[in-house]
Amino acid sequence: MGTKRRRGGDGGMEENTMAILDTSCFSKSTQHIADDRLSFLEAVRSGFLVPENASAPTNKMYKAIFQILKVENSLDLIMSSYQLLLELDKRFPQVYLSVAENSESSSPSPSSPQRNELVVVEEAWFPFSFGPDVSSCEKQDLDKVGGSLDATAFLLLIEDLAKVADEANSKTLDSKPLRNMLLFQYLVNVLEGDFVPRNLAFTESLDWIYLRESLLNMILVSRKIAYKGLIQNCLSAICELSQFSMDCSHDMRSPETGSAEVTGKRHTAFAIALPEIVKCTCVAVQKLLLMIIELDSSKKTADMDGRTTRVDGVRTPAIEMILDELTYDKNILFPFFQALDKPRLKLDMIVQYLLKYIPKTSVRTRRSNGSTNDSTFGGVLKCFSNGNSTKSIVKKISTEVAELLLAQAFQAYISLPSQHSTEYKEDIAGNSLPEICNNMISAFTCLKKTDEHTGILPFGKEALFTAAIMLSRSS
Amino acid sequence: MEEDPFDFESDVLLATSPIVAPNQRRKVIGLDDLLVDHYKEKNRVTERESKLAKTKKTYNSDDEEDGRVAKLSKYVDECHEKMTQLSDEDDVSIWGLQVFGNQKSPPSFVFSDLPSCSLFHSFMGLEVNSLIELSTESGEMFFEGLLTNGWLLKLVCKCGEVDKPIATWTFHLMLYSSKEVLRSAAVNFWCAILLLKNEDEPRFLKIDWLPSYSELKGALETYGFLLHSPLEDSSDAEMVLGDSECMGSPQNIVAWIKFVAACSQARNTHFIFSTSEAEELVVVIICLLLDRQLLGLSVDLNECMLSLINFFTDDEWSSSCAKVAKSVALRVPLDINSLRAVDCIPAVCGHIKHLRSAIAFQILLGYFDKVEDDEEVIRQLTLINLKDKSCDLFKIYIYLVLTENWFLYNPAIKDKPLLNEMWGLYLRNCSCQINITDTRSYASKVRSKASYLLQGTTDKS
Repeated sequence: MGTKRRRGGDGGMEENTMAILDTSCFSKSTQHIADDRLSFLEAVRSGFLVPENASAPTNKMYKAIFQILKVENSLDLIMSSYQLLLELDKRFPQVYLSVAENSESSSPSPSSPQRNELVVVEEAWFPFSFGPDVSSCEKQDLDKVGGSLDATAFLLLIEDLAKVADEANSKTLDSKPLRNMLLFQYLVNVLEGDFVPRNLAFTESLDWIYLRESLLNMILVSRKIAYKGLIQNCLSAICELSQFSMDCSHDMRSPETGSAEVTGKRHTAFAIALPEIVKCTCVAVQKLLLMIIELDSSKKTADMDGRTTRVDGVRTPAIEMILDELTYDKNILFPFFQALDKPRLKLDMIVQYLLKYIPKTSVRTRRSNGSTNDSTFGGVLKCFSNGNSTKSIVKKISTEVAELLLAQAFQAYISLPSQHSTEYKEDIAGNSLPEICNNMISAFTCLKKTDEHTGILPFGKEALFTAAIMLSRSS
Repeated sequence: MEEDPFDFESDVLLATSPIVAPNQRRKVIGLDDLLVDHYKEKNRVTERESKLAKTKKTYNSDDEEDGRVAKLSKYVDECHEKMTQLSDEDDVSIWGLQVFGNQKSPPSFVFSDLPSCSLFHSFMGLEVNSLIELSTESGEMFFEGLLTNGWLLKLVCKCGEVDKPIATWTFHLMLYSSKEVLRSAAVNFWCAILLLKNEDEPRFLKIDWLPSYSELKGALETYGFLLHSPLEDSSDAEMVLGDSECMGSPQNIVAWIKFVAACSQARNTHFIFSTSEAEELVVVIICLLLDRQLLGLSVDLNECMLSLINFFTDDEWSSSCAKVAKSVALRVPLDINSLRAVDCIPAVCGHIKHLRSAIAFQILLGYFDKVEDDEEVIRQLTLINLKDKSCDLFKIYIYLVLTENWFLYNPAIKDKPLLNEMWGLYLRNCSCQINITDTRSYASKVRSKASYLLQGTTDKS
């Protein structure tokens, strides 16, 4: 792993730029302070992002920008600091892959001409801190750690996300939910920027140390938080946020909020931004979950390869935990799958979920028939093709749940990128698009027969419609 | 008056109090007057207190005195706070324009063409309909479900064609629906079909109907966008339009912004607006960035502006950039908003840096009569006497920031030593000619900004 010392910038630049913030102590007015902070952000932008060959801002500056995002109430400052941090991270990544320069001279293996080398910027500033939880130590390092969040604070932040919907519906909408959502989006962005290159480096070299030192892993192994709680919080945040987006028809011109309140204007600004920010936050929570799932699978690879040690501990894979949660709490089942926009993951999870309820005998019969496709979507669909097995599944999970899961799985299936779906199509019989469509229709016909009283849900009808049209176009 | 903290001999106080003098009452009592009065009273009170203390030493318990002192100091503090607030208010002006006026009612639209849409048409004949029971009456509801749950996009991708009824219906929902679910689903649908990556489906997605620029502009007019009138300051506009029910920013503007961004990214495959129309759209986006109500959308607005600017080829941009800058300078009022018009431009790449510099220069020109030349502008700046009491330091501050932006984002300026020299002179004037004890508003801001910039220019050389 290569390391690179960040060129410390010139001290003059830091001193000059930080001085903009210092003047605030001369004046008590909040507007003055806000104005100075805005000028500070603008100065960082013009000093470090505009020149083509500028070095990165110093840690002190990063800290000051992050502090603004964390505590400010003015929408202007929140938005500017958020955007500035994102742009800075894009321009000056803390961790990145570079093509190793010595690959030509040494050339150990001509088959792999270019190996990526992981470069980690030394002593870079991160919005996370993982100091030991001894308070005296924290006090000493307070200046160094600054406003960084520890794992506990991150967990609390995710917990707060689930409350956003309630807060937003109350009339005194203030900047806190918005700020928390943007803060969270930024933190996920940081985690991603750190995790993705490390995971790539890991898949090339199988060296676990890259991932052991990743921020995400450090959060997950932190003893300050319960890993299970983190996953649960993520799930409830996804459900609440997506539910909010679905329900919200926040028409700002409704008579009660349209009245000329003092805060009316500020309120409108928040309300206009809210749906969009909620959507992006929901995507960010999913991104976090997906990274955890990827980390799990890399860890499994490292475990099998004997690369991990006892220090790394044992963790239940996130997918299993999520499936457990979905089994216990049926209320989040539909919102979760509706919000999840990663088709591959969604399909796999639904198939795994349904497999729990498919009678073992039918699976075994299939196996004895010599086909190994029972654990695929096509295999699961076939279990709904005869009355008896459908009846026994519906007894355990309701007709509604069965319909919704099949429809969701079908949607995930048709959303798979073509290389995946051809993989599905070619390798395993019974998984081609026309077959899947046909089996969808017969599964729904079967479900309808089993439960005559309840009609098919709208979402199921839409899935059927799609299946029917796709079938007619495929032939 | 019963609650008056100084009410120990109220009759006497009332009789002598200058506040109740009838001739003073008529004019608006300013805080200054109040403070003067207050100090007069305070003096009187202390005099009286000392007299009282001399005559009635035995009566005057410490508690009473402490209470009075505390009340008095509280009163003084309150006054002081109000004074500073007042002086701050005219010290820092806040940018912000009202870009939306009264909204019009959206054009009516009936999804009547449904039976002619090929998806509907081809489905009705299928046997499966016995399960779904789709009819012409329930059709629109059903299609809304298809849209919001993402099925419609999969279907049109599979069929390789977007029918006109579907295209117009989703376009209308996107720009005019009051339901967030529908408009956001519709905008996702449109962005997806415009920017469809053709890796998956080798076939080209045929869109039977595309909106034109006039439709986009029409939507803005429906939202009440003040396109042709010069923009008003939000504080004034609020008073004029304050009681109108349907004023304020429309929720659909988010969808509009995203759609414009997608259209400009899709230039190579779909023609929706021309370069001159794209120029107008850049100006519109900059205007939207001047409205504080849309602050929370700045991520989307910035993305949209970048997409629009990348829409132009290098050749087109050199002339378009100047046109955009002139048009922006004409619309933006010459106050704090002119700084925002420059600050809001995310200068991340070549084209947009160019725009930021050009807008700063054009606005700067607007502050001077009959000046067209860059050297002449700077010369005018250096001629300003900052020590003159009538010199408006707020304007000086604006000149300073505008010139900074004009220079910083235009690489060609580096090769003009004369301009740089005069800019240095101006900066030195600003940082040296304003005394640290200068109490004029913006004095300290101008001084510190100039010394900050001066530091930067000397560092480089």
